[in-house]
This record gives sequence, structure tokens and C-alpha cells, in this order.
Amino acid sequence: MKRRVAITGVGLVSPFGGDREDFFAHMLAGESCVRHYTTDDKPRPLSMPAVRCDRFDADAVLGKALSSTMDRYAQLGFAAAREAWGDAGFNATDRSEKNDCGVSWGTALGGTLAYERGYRDLWQNGRERVSPLSVVLGMNNAASAHMAIQFGLGNSCLSYTVACSSASAAIGEAYRRIAAGDAEMMLTGGSDDPLCYGVARAWEALRVIAPGDADNSVRACRPFSADRAGLVLGEGAAALVLEEWEHAVKRGATILAELAGYGATSDHSHLVKPDVRGQVRAIEMALADASLAPGDIDYVNAHGTATAEGDPAEIAALRHVFGAAAAGLPVSGTKSMHGHMMGATGAVEAVITVMALQQDALPPTAHVETIDPACTGVRHILGGALRGTGARVALSNSFAFGGSNAVLAIRNDRLPA
Amino acid sequence: MNDELEIVREFLKERLSIDPARIVSEAKLEELDIDSLMLLELFFELEEKLDVNLSQDLPTPKTIGQMIEIVRGLKNAPRAG
Repeated sequence: MKRRVAITGVGLVSPFGGDREDFFAHMLAGESCVRHYTTDDKPRPLSMPAVRCDRFDADAVLGKALSSTMDRYAQLGFAAAREAWGDAGFNATDRSEKNDCGVSWGTALGGTLAYERGYRDLWQNGRERVSPLSVVLGMNNAASAHMAIQFGLGNSCLSYTVACSSASAAIGEAYRRIAAGDAEMMLTGGSDDPLCYGVARAWEALRVIAPGDADNSVRACRPFSADRAGLVLGEGAAALVLEEWEHAVKRGATILAELAGYGATSDHSHLVKPDVRGQVRAIEMALADASLAPGDIDYVNAHGTATAEGDPAEIAALRHVFGAAAAGLPVSGTKSMHGHMMGATGAVEAVITVMALQQDALPPTAHVETIDPACTGVRHILGGALRGTGARVALSNSFAFGGSNAVLAIRNDRLPA
Repeated sequence: MNDELEIVREFLKERLSIDPARIVSEAKLEELDIDSLMLLELFFELEEKLDVNLSQDLPTPKTIGQMIEIVRGLKNAPRAG
């Protein structure tokens, strides 16, 4: 029999610079942390809308000795994980062995800056060698390894690289380990830093980056909008502590929500073109896993990247699963405010979903005036937060390049139905 | 060993906030929390600053003094291409 899984801690690094309550208040207010981002890189500086955690000083937050052994994505991830670990009631300096607790972390890109620094040294700066830390800074399991080492997590140390679904897959697979009895607790989430020169240029080359300048970057990302123009890259991190339900109850933990179900499917059709059928199967799998019917769902935090192909496919999938009830289903794309944090984005959106149920306040899709006719048929939350609906159960969707779909079903039964 | 010692002191002060006064010849690397990765970084820093090229199969020093002797012994060796 499947064991219930509680969410007992959350943490994130806010691009606004404040704590997660402050971050969520910005989300409810429809306020974007997208800004115009420029660099002095050669041969052509970057100039694009982006989300940066520019007030995050890793040396100050983590200490120089630790931060210097991590690339930016791991620094962000570790900071978020440490906050979640503390939020769940654990001492972040306790490295004693905990063999019933593991890590499951998502990152699409890993230590991009470490590799790019090496390439610059070799090919731009005429050096013969790169830093001896390059491998351990760059490897995709660096963030999870640091967490396991610092917190003494001996159950498992797993990393998932599934493009934009990385964090949701990491969270879902962590949930499954607990549900199946393979672990009592899992520290999970995701982090990424896609703003290094080569990676940003690569995304630009795909022609999916929204344009923007100093005046209008703040509203560059407009999911489901008739005038949407593409996605916005962002660096970020968020973490959750998952825990077997009775384990959490016995130790007196504060249960923030239940991770009730998870669906993971593969489109097996195209590298970048989403397939509605694959998304439908993922949503239906999450519902079935959580023993929920479509009518039980009160909110969907959409993947909603604001690309031409992705948004209509996701809405079509929701219409298919929810049928006539889709018209009343509250849906929002919070990437309009926090951008697309790649392998972190599913974790950030899971934390937003947990907080939305806790506070009975559903964040809007920002900056949208007219919904694309191809994206109609659901209840888009526009113009401000939707409060007081009594929302108890929500889905958080992640649909990645490569056709990897991951859907989380999150519930909070403490609110009156 | 003054040049080498100053390089090590400066590096460890910046990276691990270790008081330079603790970085003396007989100081043990383990007691300074210098693990194998940090040792690699130290050798790399010394190679860069002193323009030397250490071999791949270096002995593992136990003290600051032993580490600096290894570097000094190779200080005048030509860099590999």
C-alpha cells in the first residue's frame, strides 16, 4: 500500500531579495522580477529580459569556504535546501548520519559557469590549464552531493536532468521513494543558472526568448496571451522536504501540504514540439496516483512558458482531461513573474502552489490583456490574485523539451471545503 | 621558502579565512582542514604564481613545509608544453 507523503519544509532563493513570504506576496500582486539584463561579453554582449538573484551573495550566505567549492547553481540550490531543511525543523549544522533520508535534486544544466570559465581560460585567455575544481564544480550532481554531505543524508543522492521538468521529476521521484517505503524523508527541489554567455546564446538561437529592453522587460513574459513573445530565462532555486506522513506526525512536524500524486510520461514524438497526448497522460496519471477525480482540482499552476507552441498544447491537454469543467478551472502561469528557471522552475512553482493552498490565494498570470483564442477554455486568473475560493487540491505542471512530462498533485485538507 | 609561504598564506586566508600566523612550516594540513581537493587547488595556485609545472604523480605532503619543499624542488623545472 502506498504511504502518504507530507511536505514539511520549503525554501527558495527569491530574485526579489526577500524571504519566501515576500516572494509569494509579489506573486499574488502580479509583480514581476524580470529585468533587462546586459553583459559586457565578447564578441556580442547579452541584452535580454532575464531573472537574476542578484542580491544573493553566496559568500555571505554560505561562507567563503563552502561557496568556493560550488558553482552558482549549487550555491543557489544549497541555500534553498538549507532553508527548507530548517523550515522542517532540522539543524543545518548537524552532519550526523541519517540513513533513512536522501536527496533528489533537479538541474537541467548543472555547473555551466565552471565549464564556461574553463573554455574562456583555454580558448580566450590562452591558458593551458583549467582550475582543478572544474569537474566538481561543473558536475550535475554537485548540488545534491553538497546537501548530502552537509546534512548527513545517507539514503540516496540522486540528480535528475530532464530539461524544464528536472525539478518536478526530482520531487516526484523523491515522493515515490517515500511512498514505496525506500526512504522516510527526502530533501528535494531544483536549481539552475542559465544566464552564462554560451547557454543564453544557445537559447537565443532557438528563437524562443522574449524580446525586451530597459523599459518593457518587466512584462516580457506573457503566457497564454495573444501577444506572447517567448520565454524569459532565470536563475533560481527552490527546495522541499518530503516526509512519510506518520513520521512527520510522530515528530510533531508542521505539515504544510500533502504531495498526493505524481505523473511522469514521455511524448516520444519530438525534441521541442509538445504532444498533447503525452501531457494528458501525465495529468491523468497524477490524478489517479492521488485517487483524485478531475472535479477535485481547484487550481493548476501551469507550465506556461509563453512560447507559441507550448501554451496552446497545455491548455488543450487541460481541456481534454477536465472536459466541460475546464471552463471553471482556475489556471495561472507564474513564469510571467519569475521567468523560466529551467531545472529549478518546477520546484519554485511547487512552492508557490503549496503557499497558494496554505493562504487560499491563487496567483495570477501577469501582463496579459487578451488571451490567445488557442488558449481559451479554462478560467485564466488575470488582473490579480484569486482569493477565498477554498482551494484544497492543485496540480503543478512541468512539460519539458525532449517530451518529458511531470505533474505533481498537491493537497491541503486543512482548509474548509 | 618565503615566496611560496606567502602565496599559501594569502590563498588560505582568502579561501578558508585561516590566520596567516597559523601557516608555518610544521603546521599539519589535516589540522588546517586542507583536504585533497584543497591541496590540488594549492598546488595549482603555486604553479600559476611561480610559473612552474608540477608532475601528475606528486607525493602527498602532510605539512605546509613538506608541500613547499615539493614545490621548491620543482621550481626551476621547465614547464611542459
